[in-house]
Amino acid sequence: MEIDAAKCVGCGNCVPFCTMGAIRVENDVAVVNEDECVECSTCYRCCGPEGLRATFVRGLRRLFRALHLRYDAPLDVCPTGALVPPELKWPRSLRRAFSDPTVTHDSTGMAGRGTEEIKTNDITGRIGPGEAGIVIDLGRPGTGVFFRDIDTMTRALAQLDVFFEPQNPLTHLMNDPQNGSLRKDIANEKVLSAIIELKIKLADLPEVLHLVEKTATALDTVISVGVSTKCDPEGGIPHESICSGAGYPLSLNGKTNLGLGRPVEGMS
Amino acid sequence: MTNTLHRRGTPQTLRQDFVLFATPSRSLSPDLPDKMKRFTEICLRHNPLNMAKIENMAMRRVDPRRLKEEMQDQIGITAVFDNPDSLASAIAELKEADLGIPINVSGLLEQVKECCGKAGITRHSVEQSLGIFGKKEKLPPPEIVEINTLCGHGMVSFNLIKKVADEVKLGRMTPEQGAYLLAKPCECGAFNPVRARQVLEALRMKG
Ligand code: SF4
Ligand code: SF4
Repeated sequence: MEIDAAKCVGCGNCVPFCTMGAIRVENDVAVVNEDECVECSTCYRCCGPEGLRATFVRGLRRLFRALHLRYDAPLDVCPTGALVPPELKWPRSLRRAFSDPTVTHDSTGMAGRGTEEIKTNDITGRIGPGEAGIVIDLGRPGTGVFFRDIDTMTRALAQLDVFFEPQNPLTHLMNDPQNGSLRKDIANEKVLSAIIELKIKLADLPEVLHLVEKTATALDTVISVGVSTKCDPEGGIPHESICSGAGYPLSLNGKTNLGLGRPVEGMS
Repeated sequence: MTNTLHRRGTPQTLRQDFVLFATPSRSLSPDLPDKMKRFTEICLRHNPLNMAKIENMAMRRVDPRRLKEEMQDQIGITAVFDNPDSLASAIAELKEADLGIPINVSGLLEQVKECCGKAGITRHSVEQSLGIFGKKEKLPPPEIVEINTLCGHGMVSFNLIKKVADEVKLGRMTPEQGAYLLAKPCECGAFNPVRARQVLEALRMKG
């Protein structure tokens, strides 16, 4: 994100909205830490311009200060419209693609950072009996992740018998899905989060989860992990006993595909 | 949208938190827009707390306080409910409508299963969270993480939640005003302002 220093009055409204804590106010002007900014545009979208002139706002602020008055302005405005989303070039453009849900992902045609995992399993049959889907969301919650850390995880996973979801945007960034290595030129780009999606044999679940947990300790971020399966004919959940047996407690909440989708010819 | 999966909270708070959503992108049906309009109408009939609409292939927030007006003639994609009865009736109506579009619900699995049972549905697939791995010391207190995970994309920053909680403690904002401000960064409409308000109230009591 760019901040027009001539317009910014240093009110600090945009600071808490920043998903990465990348904005600070220095000498009455907001400054963005470009290394940490993931170009999610949350600051820009949430702090709409009030259309005031910077000189007017600065004058008013000086007057209020002199009179020891406090003015509780709305928190979600940029008085002067100083926030400017920049044109981004490769590889920085990846930051926005992965972090701003209002832009479309070129590789999936949809906004978002993953593909459709079980959400469309009723029409695609992507995860079948005896299989499990795993989603590894790096940088979530609220911490962000550099591609160099994602690369550590994808390369570790590639050593096992896993199948990287081909439609997933991260798979598109791999040099070679066989060894899981990501393009070198993106290593220092940071995103709000990125989801590795795998399909594995259900029986391999403990081994894969163990590796994910172990690899995560070497990363400078947090990861949220999810597991999915197609239910049995009675609606039972095949991964339940395997995860708890391997010492991985499951959340009581989760995502249920109701099975109301009708398979499309040629997709199942 | 994926990460409505990782919503955190106690069983008690999760009992008031369900996200119903359609995934139309792969349903190659020529009358998809009409079907999505039906989905939207059905959701709106059951008093959702929040919704998102589709604009240029991306999710866009609407103001949850003006849901009915802002969703008029729009195509909705997510709807948040705070009680299982509304959810059960919405699911039953969606089954009746037979749209052929994949529909998922995020929420307490047992309760969603019950709602499915009432509608005569056997669930197709289930996804669950295994929680958080890695550098957990980077995370703020659990209440802050709980509010952050109410947005499917994690757009509600830890700092904003802390700031709003402080404003509420200082009496400069009501918990309800705070909850609606926190809903603003969430473009996927999955944010549950009622749960956020409750967490802010609890934090105010804690002092
Ligand atoms: S674009 Fe996102 S990460 Fe960058 S300064 Fe704005 S809110 Fe922070
Ligand atoms: S909200 Fe606008 S004027 Fe205020 S600090 Fe941020 S960029 Fe500057």
